[in-house]
Amino acid sequence: MNTASKGWLNKVPEVTLSFWIIKIMSTTVGETFADFLAVDVGWGLAITSAVMAVLLAGALALQLRKRNCEPWIYWLCVVLVSILGTQITDILTDELGISLYASTAFFAALLVANFAVWYAVERNLSIREIVTARREGFYWATVLCTFALGTAGGDLATEALGLGFSLGCVIFAALIGACLLAWRLGASTVLVFWVAYILTRPLGASLGDLLTQSRDYGGLGMGATWTSAIFLCVIFILVCAAQFAAGQSKRLTP
Amino acid sequence: MISNALIRMLAIACVASAVLVTQGCSKQDEPPQAAGIHAPTKLGDLSAFRAIAVDVAAKVDAQDLPAAKTRIKDLEKSWDDAEAGIKPRAASDWHVLDKAIDHALDALRASQPQQGACKAAMADLLKAFDSLQGQG
Repeated sequence: MNTASKGWLNKVPEVTLSFWIIKIMSTTVGETFADFLAVDVGWGLAITSAVMAVLLAGALALQLRKRNCEPWIYWLCVVLVSILGTQITDILTDELGISLYASTAFFAALLVANFAVWYAVERNLSIREIVTARREGFYWATVLCTFALGTAGGDLATEALGLGFSLGCVIFAALIGACLLAWRLGASTVLVFWVAYILTRPLGASLGDLLTQSRDYGGLGMGATWTSAIFLCVIFILVCAAQFAAGQSKRLTP
Repeated sequence: MISNALIRMLAIACVASAVLVTQGCSKQDEPPQAAGIHAPTKLGDLSAFRAIAVDVAAKVDAQDLPAAKTRIKDLEKSWDDAEAGIKPRAASDWHVLDKAIDHALDALRASQPQQGACKAAMADLLKAFDSLQGQG
């Protein structure tokens, strides 16, 4: 491992159940928050995107400068990528009038190209050995692609198949379950990880809709404020636990 | 470490119970959706949105563009909030209305809103509502 930057540990969290819960919930909160800024505060798509891009650049700079995984920065980056990925798709669809079929295909191709370059350069796609700045760059580029693809693909399912959020929750959860099963049966860890990573985007969106939409539309009618508050609490608890655990393991392995 | 695991279990339990509750409810709520007696378009009852649009149009007719601009935000917000609920029912119908609402928003939020443009945009919007209601 002579390519590793001096003293770098793996920069991304271990993939555990709480990892996936935080991932799904941060997706929902990110989307709700972006919506809040664009519509309630009235910034509109363009300004919200610009502000989020600046915040993301700042958070990523912070993340890249760390030598080990700091859960709170990692998840802050994920939330911001989630917001920006959603907005990129919204801008393409609403402002530029690009069809969801085209954008879904485009982001899928971009993701494949990203993996191809990553593999060509590193000969390794492992998410357990994100130990150089270049690998971390590939990792975050992939994350951005998965969010854009997850948003476009999820919207496409709504548009083309008329897939509502109740059914969406069941289907996307079942697909993630299928990923878990495939992994247990010996499918490639890296492949399964990224497929599930993509699927958590539409699952998070469907789950958020299920909680926030009014009962007239088959939702739970909890409203965006309460849903966000509850999700933020759970995220906060889980990230604190992860941060605490990270701090402990750092002391154990100096 | 034990408290750590405990917290994690607790959070997971929260999520699991939330998911269980929601699945029970979503099934209960399915039947009324199919019985849309009052609404010809599959989008369902749009009267709440149309009522706001009528209100905005009245303010435009009264030459009060600032008030119309303020009021149309209610339409933007309620329409946006309901997107996930109604869009899957009839995506193409939804886009017709969404585009008409966007045009009205653009007209009223122009740096120097024009009475004629606003009036035309609101007329188009109401026409879009009516054509969907009469679609059978």
